This record gives sequence, C-alpha cells and structure tokens, in this order.
Amino acid sequence: MKIVFGIFNRLIFGTITLIEPKLNQGGVSRVEIDLDGIVIIVGNYGSGKTEVSINLAVNRKRAGLEVRIADLDLVNPYFRTREAKARLAELGIEVVVPPQQYMQADLPILSPVVSGMIRQPSQLTLLDTGGDDVGVNVLAALGAALSGKKIHVLQVVNPFRPFTDTTGGCLKIRYEIERASRLSISGIIGNANLIDETTVKDIYTGYDFALGLSKESGLPLKFVTVAAELMPEIDIKHFTCPVLLIERQLVPPWKRSFSLASKME
Amino acid sequence: MGKILMKGNEAIGEAAIRAGCLNYFAYPITPQSEVAEYLSRRMPEVGGVFLQGESEVAVSYMLFGASACGARVFTTSSSPGISLMSEGISYIAGAQCPAVFVNIMRGGPGLGGILPSQADYFQSTKGGGHGDYRLLVMAPASVQEAVEMVMLAFPLAEKYRNPVMLLGDGLIGQMMEPVEFPDHLKSEPTNKDEWATNGMDTRGSNKRNLVKSLFLDAGKLNEHNLMLKAKYDRMKQEEIRYELYNIESDYKALIVSYGTMSRVCKTSIDNMKDEGLEVGMVRPQTLFPFPEKAIYEAASKESCKVVVSIEMSMGQMVEDVERSVKGKLPVRWYGKCGGDVPTPEEVIEAVKSFL
Repeated sequence: MKIVFGIFNRLIFGTITLIEPKLNQGGVSRVEIDLDGIVIIVGNYGSGKTEVSINLAVNRKRAGLEVRIADLDLVNPYFRTREAKARLAELGIEVVVPPQQYMQADLPILSPVVSGMIRQPSQLTLLDTGGDDVGVNVLAALGAALSGKKIHVLQVVNPFRPFTDTTGGCLKIRYEIERASRLSISGIIGNANLIDETTVKDIYTGYDFALGLSKESGLPLKFVTVAAELMPEIDIKHFTCPVLLIERQLVPPWKRSFSLASKME
Repeated sequence: MGKILMKGNEAIGEAAIRAGCLNYFAYPITPQSEVAEYLSRRMPEVGGVFLQGESEVAVSYMLFGASACGARVFTTSSSPGISLMSEGISYIAGAQCPAVFVNIMRGGPGLGGILPSQADYFQSTKGGGHGDYRLLVMAPASVQEAVEMVMLAFPLAEKYRNPVMLLGDGLIGQMMEPVEFPDHLKSEPTNKDEWATNGMDTRGSNKRNLVKSLFLDAGKLNEHNLMLKAKYDRMKQEEIRYELYNIESDYKALIVSYGTMSRVCKTSIDNMKDEGLEVGMVRPQTLFPFPEKAIYEAASKESCKVVVSIEMSMGQMVEDVERSVKGKLPVRWYGKCGGDVPTPEEVIEAVKSFL
C-alpha cells in the first residue's frame, strides 16, 4: 500500500510509503525511504555505514525491490557487512564479498564482481564503503564503471562520534571523502546514536543536528535512523524526513542481533 | 561533557591523553591500528608527540628513552608486535622506568590471525622478555573499563616504576560503546625526580640519577632482583582487582573469565539462571597480580562442584586458577583460540558438561 503525501513531498526527498499495518512497530507507522539505483554509503570511521547499509538493504527488499549489496570495506577487518551475509541471503539479498579464503584477511581485495554489478545494476545496488577518505579510495578505482551512471552518494553522520560532533567536522570529512573518491556527496543520513544507551532526546538532538548540517551544506537530509527498540517512544511526526528503522545486526558475541527473517511475511 | 560513542582503540588513545600522556610512539598492526590513527590526529591538537617508529623494537626503546627523561609514555600494539617489544620491556623493567603498554591481542602463534584472542596470557603475566621481572597486567571487559584502566595505568606505572600492560583482545579494540571520560590527570609523573635524568639542577639535588639495567657484580644483581621482587610482592598486596558476578547465589559451578570472554560468560550465567541453574563468576581485572584469594573463597562455597576457566586461549589461565583453588575442586577449561569468540550457548553447553 503506497501513499504519497503531497504536502510532505516537497519537504522530503522521496515518497513516503506506509507499510502494511501488521508490520508497524509499536503502533507507529514506519515511513520508508524511496531510494533506488546505485547508492553509495560513505562517512567517517565508525559513523554506522554498515549497520545503515544492511538495514537499508532489508528495508528496500521488504518494499519489493531487488537488492544487491557490496562490502567495499577494505580498511577495517572487524564488523563488516560480510558478517551479516547469511542473514541477508536468507531474505534474498545478495552480498558481494571477497572470495571465502580472503574473508578474514586485512588485505584490500576488491572483487571484480563489484564493477559488474555497477555496470548492470539491480533495482537497488548498495555499496558499503570503508571509513573516512581512505575508505573511499576504492571508489576512484571504480570510476570507469561509475562513469555516466546516476548515483546517490550518501554521507552517514553521527554527532556522538569524535570528529563529527560539529557541522564543521562533518563538512571536513565530506570534502576529504569527495577528494579521495572523486565523487560528489548528494545527501545526508542522520545516524545519531549511542547504541544501547541512545535516548529519545538523543534522536531528536541528532535530527536537529542533521537538519543544521543539511542547511549549512545544501545537501538534502535523505533520512534519519531510529533503533527498533526506541521506535515505540518516538513521535514520528517530529520528523519531516523519512525514518529508517535499525534492527541491529552487528552486535558483539554476547548479544543477539535482531531477527530479520521474522519480519518477512 | 556527555557520553560519546567510541571504538575501544580510539577510547584508549583519548584516555592516554586525558591521563596526561603526551608521548605516543607506535608501529601499526591490526587490530589496534586505530589507536595510532586516532592519536596521529589528536596528539598535534594537544601539543603532544606522535611518532611512528621503524619497528616495534625501536618503539620500545623510544619509550625507554623518553621515560628515562621523566616523560609519561605509552605505546599500543598487538601480539606479534609485543613479542618484538619484549626486549625493551625487559630493559625498562630492569631499569625501573614507568611505561604503559597496550596489547590488543590477535590469534597466534606466529602471524596467527587478526581476529580476537587471549593467547598472550603467558606472555604478559609470566614474562615475555628475559629476566626476573613482572608486569602489572590489567584486562578490561568494556570500552569504558579500558578508559578507566588506561587512566589508572600511568599512576600505577609511576608508583612502581615498572611497565604496566593493558591486555585487551581484538574485540575490545574494535567494538564501539558509549564512553565517558574522567577529568584530566596532571601531565607529569609526580615522583619523576626518583629516576629521571632531567638534570640535577632541575631537581635541586646533588643526587645523580643513573638509568641502567646492567649489574655485572653478582651480589649487586641479586640485590637488585630482590628489590624488584619486593615491588612485585607489594603489587600482590595492593593492586589485586576483580569483579564478582552472581556470587550471592548457591552456584553449582564457578567460572573464572576475563575481558571479552567474561562478557559472553555473563550472558550465559543470566541464561542459565533463567533455566534454574546457578553459576557464579570471578572476573580478574588484574591478571598479575592474580585474584587468588577471591577465587579460593568463591570456590569454597559448599554448593560449588567445579571451577571452569573460560578463555580465548588453550587454557593458559588454568594454572593460575588451579593454584588459587588449591586442589579444593576440579578445575576445567573451555575455550577457543582461532578468532571465533565462543557463543553464550557454547559456554552453557561446556559448563553443563562439567557438572
């Protein structure tokens, strides 16, 4: 059931879709992000790119899109998209990762499949890059494949992280990423969180921060994120942009990740 | 300042700055390179020094030299890098200079792997380098605790004029948790005139400070080692730190576990409690000195039938646990050492198999 809210449509940067009521979280209508094509997720180190990418992939898959996601994190060997590969595969989301024997190596291996998936994109092709400017060097290597394609390059920001707690800090990393990747950032994703200790107030503070950054940078705020466990306490009307529900997948071994499969009808 | 979200490695770097340490020398290695990356950015901001050495051996002697001059110094590395630094660590301990080392452990031996491990227990608690020295070894189980331990490590290193080792595993370095930083410490060791070669005029004294670990005379070297031993004995009296978990229950089994592994064990203990099986835990926060008495007392509970050492090594802590339990109960081991952290379910299965 897809309803376009005309009045909001001028404020946000896509359509709002209401999910079937049975999928509502805590009585709150979950708004959806209207993104398709090639989406490249960038941001400073530890801003939450991978968790956002995984949940965005799941969100769009549930909306009926064919989704492929590539783990381009060649920088950091821990907490990468590849860790959620099996769970995403169960939902029918293909995860492109380096060959099995190099999975746990801290080697910058770029699968040749990635340029193929850019040349022949799915309805949604998600590229989850590594952190900071060094994390997006890989994109320059994919320049030929990306050339002439319509792409979204979205910068994830979490004001509760070091170096991006100010608009200036976020803009600095924006320019560094743009210089290294030779791509222009086209939108912002507000990912304010303190993981388990995030409060409703933090979400609203982070939203205001993201709006401020949007205004200062001239970049649209594509969506903000809210953890599933906080959703019941959130007033969805507070936001003029869509909200991406985060069902946390990258958890330490003593915690359980959210079951993604249980939400599929 | 409120809480911020930090990786363990970043938080360790920031904690060192807050502890007044403005000298950081390092050589990058996974899974702790973020400390170097973070401090290469932060040290210039606070007027400190970040210097990448040409090797870990070089780094350990940079620490030695700077510490000998009375500066507060630290480095971070991971298992193979600590092996290389071990020569310098022995010299620093022998010359009684304070320094803080952080080991974010990865799998071994040799190059091993880059995933979490606790296989450097022997290396850090039983020597590592040559000679009759000990390190004061602390093992954090969370990013917040890593911050607190780093900030404690510097005053302790200076109190004992001995290297202090912070032993974390790859997960402690890589995971993100919200943290809060305590107030800044003063940036200079208050007792540095005891050893620093900073000039007699500066100290206003006519006592010459000589930093050395060479004692050719047998009697003098023996005397020196007895004095070092007295320091290590004092650590055993004054520095033992540990946490007790579910110890008020009538537990059937007692787990001894530290660092990341203890976080998994806590989840297992909670889950077993829900099933009606009580299990207690002693979590050593200092690995040397080891909380022998606390473990002995916990193992003395009448309901307790077995003590299980759970670690991401092939049972390196078992000997210390056995020594603590003094034959009162059987001591078993469960663990993995390839990089996979045992799951709460695997820990439960292991504990049940020993009952």
